[in-house]
Amino acid sequence: MFNNLLILSAAGMLVTGYLMVGQKALFTAIRLYGAQSWLLGVIAVAIALGDDRPHLFVTATLTVVLKGLLIPWFLMRVVDRIGIRREIEPFLNVPASLLICLGLTVVGYRVSTGFPEGAQGVTHHVIGVGLSMLLIGLFLMVTRKKAVTQILALLTVENAVFLIALGITSGMPLVVELGISFDVLLAVLVLGILVRRIVDRFESMDVSRLSQLKG
Amino acid sequence: MTLLLLTLLVPLITAAAGAVGGPRQIKEALLISGLVITFALCLATAGAFLAGGPIEQFDAALRVDGLSALMLVLNGFAGLLSGIYGVGYLRRNEAGGRVTPRMRREFHALVPAYLFALLLVCVSNNLGILWIAVELTTLASVFLVAFHNAETSLEAAWKFLMLGSLGLGFALLGTVLLFAAAQGRLGEGMAALNWTSFMAAAPGMHPFTLRLGVVFALIGYGTKAGLAPMHTWKPDAYREAPSSAGALMAVGMLNGAVYCLLRIHLISSAAVGPEFSSGLLLALGLLSVLVAVPFILIQWNLKRLLAYSSIEHVGIMAIGFGIGGEAGTFGALLHMTYHTFAKPIAFFSAGTLAQLHSSSNFETMGAGTIGRAPVSSVLLLLATVIITGSPPFGIFFSEMIILRAGFSSPHVLATAVLLAALVVLFCGFAYQVGRLVLGPPPGDGVKFTPETLDLCLVTAIVAAIIAVTVGFYMPNPLLDLIRAATLVTGGHS
Repeated sequence: MFNNLLILSAAGMLVTGYLMVGQKALFTAIRLYGAQSWLLGVIAVAIALGDDRPHLFVTATLTVVLKGLLIPWFLMRVVDRIGIRREIEPFLNVPASLLICLGLTVVGYRVSTGFPEGAQGVTHHVIGVGLSMLLIGLFLMVTRKKAVTQILALLTVENAVFLIALGITSGMPLVVELGISFDVLLAVLVLGILVRRIVDRFESMDVSRLSQLKG
Repeated sequence: MTLLLLTLLVPLITAAAGAVGGPRQIKEALLISGLVITFALCLATAGAFLAGGPIEQFDAALRVDGLSALMLVLNGFAGLLSGIYGVGYLRRNEAGGRVTPRMRREFHALVPAYLFALLLVCVSNNLGILWIAVELTTLASVFLVAFHNAETSLEAAWKFLMLGSLGLGFALLGTVLLFAAAQGRLGEGMAALNWTSFMAAAPGMHPFTLRLGVVFALIGYGTKAGLAPMHTWKPDAYREAPSSAGALMAVGMLNGAVYCLLRIHLISSAAVGPEFSSGLLLALGLLSVLVAVPFILIQWNLKRLLAYSSIEHVGIMAIGFGIGGEAGTFGALLHMTYHTFAKPIAFFSAGTLAQLHSSSNFETMGAGTIGRAPVSSVLLLLATVIITGSPPFGIFFSEMIILRAGFSSPHVLATAVLLAALVVLFCGFAYQVGRLVLGPPPGDGVKFTPETLDLCLVTAIVAAIIAVTVGFYMPNPLLDLIRAATLVTGGHS
């Protein structure tokens, strides 16, 4: 039962990754990130119940509160304040992007077969999804122009790393996880402040305009 | 031992005190005394290590061994110099009316906070805490890069933060994979992520997972070190950050990131033999040195020139560690030490020249600065002579040690390429600085503020005296620390 829940949630996370690639409205992209974090929380709970690892409940709570609620709320406020709602045409159109992400998913799954746990069913899927999402996050980062979308891409990479950590080691020691989560929150706050300053200066959050420094 | 905790607490308290407003003199006195005490505590901690062996705290989550002790001293020193120069820098800008109270608070809080994170990096035995500390260094330095709030500084800060965070994502994945590679033999709880536990469990690690983890971790921390091809943030950040923060990034951050690379390299060497991570370090190092060549030759901006020089030097260190053996490792650590003492002079004199001319572009500054600002110009020349590795200064010797180790190792070809690149880089860097300082002044005159002997200049002169002294006469305890660090870094292999 827990295994099914685990695979379903992992698949759901991959779907949110794909939806983000096909999405231009910033609010929806942020909500997708929030949903992705909730699914990560569900995975932590499923592993906690299935493998009897109570400290993962703390991880799950932390994930849902910070990444599922607080960070999306903060990013929405940033978007609201600066009044730019849509991603402009990305460097690559949506169908082509989706095709590339399909290829990246295959690569992710292929790499995941090398792990010792890779042979067994459930962890194989979790790690496969994690690696695929990592690659999709990187892809989002290089093809998008809006500052907020780039932050979301970064956060997707970070979620992917946490998913891999859950799949492969059943989580890191608790204190370290607390520290990492706190750092991520701090990083998002700093990024948010920086976006505000960039918008104030450039009257745009199009990061492709940040191209004066060369050589 | 509480000494270690104090070393970390003092900069943290200084940062907290710096964040509140107050009269300028009190804030300045607080900052400088905080940094002086921090440096003294770093020295004391290193002394305690030399006297009594490794110091541990909190289940060995924090641990000072030879390598950490050396890093503490170097970074503490860099922090102190940068702080003092920074105070002078703010005073100068205040005279021009370009410092708001907000900027002052930011500066007084962020510099010690940055130093705290850098020191925490050096004493983290727990790889999780190490990661957290590196992330803190990034967050503390972003607003130092964005300090002037100009369009270019925001661009530099954005690139710095995005690349840095991405690199740290990779480093986190690398840490997770290394943890997984031990297949549960590290146990649970805090101590499981300790570097010392990793070293003990290394021989039985799962090779595929470990290799993947090492690649991710080296790329991740390599981004923070500014190794090519992840170096692209460096020229922008160094140009935009105030010179005092630039010096702290070029020395402290570089040392800290190299320290992370070394810890990962050692785990990898213990698990699957030194060839794998040495090969990676050699490749990244060589690429960095080679990338620096064209950009130094065609450079148009003084501070960017320094950034490419820093990319070159981190490359040389990576090559030294990659060549390995006692000689290669010792050479690389010696290089790091000399670099720590020499680089601040370059940043401080270049920063002064840039401030006097209100620009760091060669074209705007105009050639022949020696006629307009003789002291800074002479200091910049001196720094150039030292950091390009001319005899009789220290970097010449550390480079010779690395080259000798390379030629007597299997990596002869890589060493030959390094030697050729070093010669070109020497000429390129000397040409650029020589042209700026000694070239004929442009005919129509240049706008500049005359040089005055203020705190910045005094700091630069003191830094130069210290660097030259250390270059000729290395204090024995410092040499002992480098030897102890060489032992940790597996010089006996």
